[in-house]
Amino acid sequence: MSDPIDLALIILALPLLACLNAAVTAVLKSSLSKVAHVPLVLSCAIGAVLGILLLLKVADGETHRWISNPITWFAAGNLKVSFTIAVDPLSAIMLAMVTFISTWIAIFSSGYMHGERGYGRFFAIMSLFVFSMLGLVLANNFLLLVAFWEGVGVCSYLLVGYYYEKPSAAAAARKAFLVTRLGDVGFLLGIFLLWKMGGWNTDLSALFDYIAKTPPDQGELTLACLLLFCGAVGKSAQFPLYVWLPDAMEGPTPVSALIHAATMVTAGVYLLARCAPLFAMCPAAQITVATIGGVTAILAAFIALAQNDLKRVLAYSTVSQLGYMFLALGTGGAISPVFAVTAAMFHLFTHAFFKALLFLSAGSVMHSMGGVIDMRKFGGLRKLMPVTHLAFLCGAAALAGLPLLSGFWSKDMILESLEMAAEGERYTGGYYVLLLVSLITVFMTAFYTFRAYFLTFWGPERIPEEAGHHAHESPSRMTIPLMILAVGAVGVGIAVEPFNHKFSHFLDHAPTLQLAFATSHAPVLEHHGFNWLLASIGTALALGGLGLAFIMYRKGTETLPAAIEPVFALSRNKLYVDEIYGAVFVKPAGVLAFLSGAFDGFLDAMARLISSLPRFVGWWVRPIQNGLVQFYALSMALGLTVLLTFVAFKIAR
Amino acid sequence: MITLWHYLAVAAALFGIGLVGFLTRRNMITMFLCAEMMFQGVAINFVAFARYHGNLQGQVFVLFIIAVAACEAGIALALFLMLYRRGKSLDASTWQSLRETGVPPAVDTEPLEIEVKVEDEHLAPAGVRPKHIPTEEEAARV
Amino acid sequence: MNLFALTPMQESAGQIALAAVLAIAGFGFLLPQPRGRRVAPGIAALIAAAGVFVAWLYSTFGQPMPDIIGTVLFCFFSVGALGFGSVLVAQVNPGRGAIAFAFVILSTCGLFLLLAAPFLMAATIIIYAGAIIVTFLFVLMLSHAGGPSDENNRSREPWLGSLAGFAFVGLVLFSLYLSHGGPDSASAAESLKTTQRLPAQVLTADERNTLLAAVEKLDTVETQLAGDNVPSANKNRVAEDFEGIHDQIGTVVGSTTLSRDGSVLTRLEKVPMRPGEKLSPLRTDQQAKTVIRDTLEIRKLNEEAFKDLSNNLLDDKTKKSLPTVKAEYHKLREELVLLAGVGQLPARNVGNLGYILYADHLLAVELAGTLLLVATIGAIAIAQRKGAVA
Repeated sequence: MSDPIDLALIILALPLLACLNAAVTAVLKSSLSKVAHVPLVLSCAIGAVLGILLLLKVADGETHRWISNPITWFAAGNLKVSFTIAVDPLSAIMLAMVTFISTWIAIFSSGYMHGERGYGRFFAIMSLFVFSMLGLVLANNFLLLVAFWEGVGVCSYLLVGYYYEKPSAAAAARKAFLVTRLGDVGFLLGIFLLWKMGGWNTDLSALFDYIAKTPPDQGELTLACLLLFCGAVGKSAQFPLYVWLPDAMEGPTPVSALIHAATMVTAGVYLLARCAPLFAMCPAAQITVATIGGVTAILAAFIALAQNDLKRVLAYSTVSQLGYMFLALGTGGAISPVFAVTAAMFHLFTHAFFKALLFLSAGSVMHSMGGVIDMRKFGGLRKLMPVTHLAFLCGAAALAGLPLLSGFWSKDMILESLEMAAEGERYTGGYYVLLLVSLITVFMTAFYTFRAYFLTFWGPERIPEEAGHHAHESPSRMTIPLMILAVGAVGVGIAVEPFNHKFSHFLDHAPTLQLAFATSHAPVLEHHGFNWLLASIGTALALGGLGLAFIMYRKGTETLPAAIEPVFALSRNKLYVDEIYGAVFVKPAGVLAFLSGAFDGFLDAMARLISSLPRFVGWWVRPIQNGLVQFYALSMALGLTVLLTFVAFKIAR
Repeated sequence: MITLWHYLAVAAALFGIGLVGFLTRRNMITMFLCAEMMFQGVAINFVAFARYHGNLQGQVFVLFIIAVAACEAGIALALFLMLYRRGKSLDASTWQSLRETGVPPAVDTEPLEIEVKVEDEHLAPAGVRPKHIPTEEEAARV
Repeated sequence: MNLFALTPMQESAGQIALAAVLAIAGFGFLLPQPRGRRVAPGIAALIAAAGVFVAWLYSTFGQPMPDIIGTVLFCFFSVGALGFGSVLVAQVNPGRGAIAFAFVILSTCGLFLLLAAPFLMAATIIIYAGAIIVTFLFVLMLSHAGGPSDENNRSREPWLGSLAGFAFVGLVLFSLYLSHGGPDSASAAESLKTTQRLPAQVLTADERNTLLAAVEKLDTVETQLAGDNVPSANKNRVAEDFEGIHDQIGTVVGSTTLSRDGSVLTRLEKVPMRPGEKLSPLRTDQQAKTVIRDTLEIRKLNEEAFKDLSNNLLDDKTKKSLPTVKAEYHKLREELVLLAGVGQLPARNVGNLGYILYADHLLAVELAGTLLLVATIGAIAIAQRKGAVA
């Protein structure tokens, strides 16, 4: 038990057991499936406790990385793939975070999904989802990582398509799967490239060490990094592959919470954090990462401005926040990668809390509104749902980055890293622009978050007809997770970073980051304390956004001045990105498919023509198959006679 | 002096007669006996060659032929019994269900020669010929 | 005979074709048909076909008849087999057909006897006449309906069937004609005289007796070769015994000590076949070839075995161990038995057949036995009444 590897394996095994358990009850349709959530809740809770123990152990320990004995999965020639996991501060923190958040989401969903069909199925897949994510976090081998990576993808497919009878849900699931798959192609290619460059290693630690010792060609390495980034773009919903994430709202709300907060989308960020040693070596890749992050952040924030669907607002905010994380990661070439990755991971950490909180609150609203999620149809729920209201307020404030809340500290750290990068040596102009972009995004974030808040909870009370008798505060097993997570969203930031720097010190020891620091060409910048200027600008912008939202929406309804109506229309239509994709990719593909179909029809016709010949011959000679034994014998004898004639008169001569 | 060739010629003729019988006769037992006759033709060939070569290999071969013929007889007997039970006939043409779909079954069109009953020379006392009611057996035959 | 200035081949082919056409016509008339059959023209055509066939047979392969009894018997049995075969095919009543088949079997057995195969004759009679025909008569009896029936009074394609059968026979006969010497009939007749008739005995009774006596003696003295060494006290007696055997074999197959050529070889190679014939340097029929080959083999074995034994007894440097020598004598014994059995037909036919069956074809015998067992089980399984009350 004391060995961190054993601990990690136990944490990994728990959700798998829960999954098997739930799957069995679901398949057997036993009455036990009514309590199918219990294994998941238990395993996540135990996992969270163990994860925190593990965290403490890692923080205290002399060594900072444990790698399990490799068990060969398969080997062919140069390709040796082993099952091996690694525990280091990076994975430990993810492990604890994922299990902790999952626990509350699991408890929440036991209330939210109550009475749904496929209750057992839901929890089986949820368990599998958590298992895959934990495996992904722990994997110390690229192909193993890919396996869990795809496992996460499959689970998201299954969960987004949970209401598979609904065509839109099925389409959304398919879209999620296919779009992320697009990125996975690049991811796999990148892995193969790295495998070739990295001395035929597939183990992460060995591969990084090898590359750090024998630096390969810069261009090739950049290419490999960008290919890896492709995978991250797909999984973490970055521009241009973010389109699947808003559609993924078709799944049950706890699934959205899980996808957005703890699992799935954070995988890309985590991947880049793990691969920091590689990225640190190629600044060109870093600025690309940062640029993509910046574009995503502002684009998604803009789209979120005018969405009417509460969950969609939150979804776009996730995309935007993920853009932030990539922004931070992208500074790793210009400043110390340790700081960059710490900033990204810190934001990931706090984001997990408040985003889970926001989604669960939205879920609570949706639950009591009878499945309605359009903000135009309800309003003024402040009185009706006090707990949810407070929880949502905490989450919104944290997301907007109001001072002292957790979102504030992590966002500030990202801004700081950008600012330092802008003062650095390379691509300073680019980082400067990105800094501006992120500041604008801060404003927009505060605006749309509070727009959603005011529209939902302020103004006169409006309840849609669909709500029926549900229109009351949610049951306690839904509100308790909300309260816990609200406390986390408010306090977790201030508790671990700004004054005691526990979080950054903890991550400082991560061997991966040390290696990244060693390989990067970044100048060592002394940490110049808390950047008051940047913090106050960020705070001012956030408060500005909040104030604007208050002015515009405090009545709880949306009345737009004519001047900004076009802007909102643009935002409401998601900048026509889907339409552009449709015109640029889908239409030509459709034409191509039509042409191929026509050609295929032509080929089929040819094949049918050719095949009709034997059919005709068959029809012609069919009567000789008349089932009479003696007729067959007669034909045989006559044939033999003919053959013998040939033999006697031709061959024997 | 009778040579090998005489034996071969006779064996060939025996084989051919058996073949004709096998191809044309429809009683399964007759067919089987004709097949056995073909076996005999082949056996004569073997024995004649054995004599010609002055060794016994040919005779050994014939022994095996006899063994196989015995097996065949056993199986054929059982099969004939089964088929007779099912079809109430030993006609090989009864069994043509393995023909291709869509091919009409072979039917014998010509009526069988029916033995013409010699009419009663003496009419009944009433001057009316007695009504002949065919028995079931007779009906079945026709 | 040569009316149309035909080549011998064309003439022969024509005769075969005529016989075949007549036979086809005969069976075409005779086979049972619903509209009745024409018996008289059918029989006439068949007899004519048989006549043409016999004429062809004798003009092609025919010989003067020194062996009158053999020829008469051959004719008798052949006519019996073919005639009763035709009856079987043409007979409407299957029961009578089965009786005809029994006669076919008997005639065939007669031919077997003429071909020096008495065991096969007995086996065939027992199995066919005794077992098969009886069981089938039994089935016939079970299924007998009486009156005209589809299976007995109809034939399937009588003309086509006859055509197929007799075209086949004609072609086989023509192939026989081609392969026995072909159209060059003068040389064919010549070669026929010397090489292709069934051979006379190649080993005389005396020679055979000598060989068998040697085998017997070998069996009695072989016990002295037991163990690893011959005790020195026995050495002289062993040497004498084996030298006697060696010489005894040598008188038949020839040896270095007695004469350059063995008597068998001398006789086979030197004796003229018939007055006025050229002397053939080596008899070319298979039996003679086999005997010559076996004889040479035995001569070699005999010399080697005796030499090895002498070396062993004299404690020569190159001596072979006694078990080796013993194995050599075993092999010699086997070969002697086989040579003595060659041509020893039919007197020891059964013994020799058994010897070959169990020496050379043991696996095949086992397989045949297994096949019979499987067939028995299969027959029982098939004949079981399915669904009957157990």
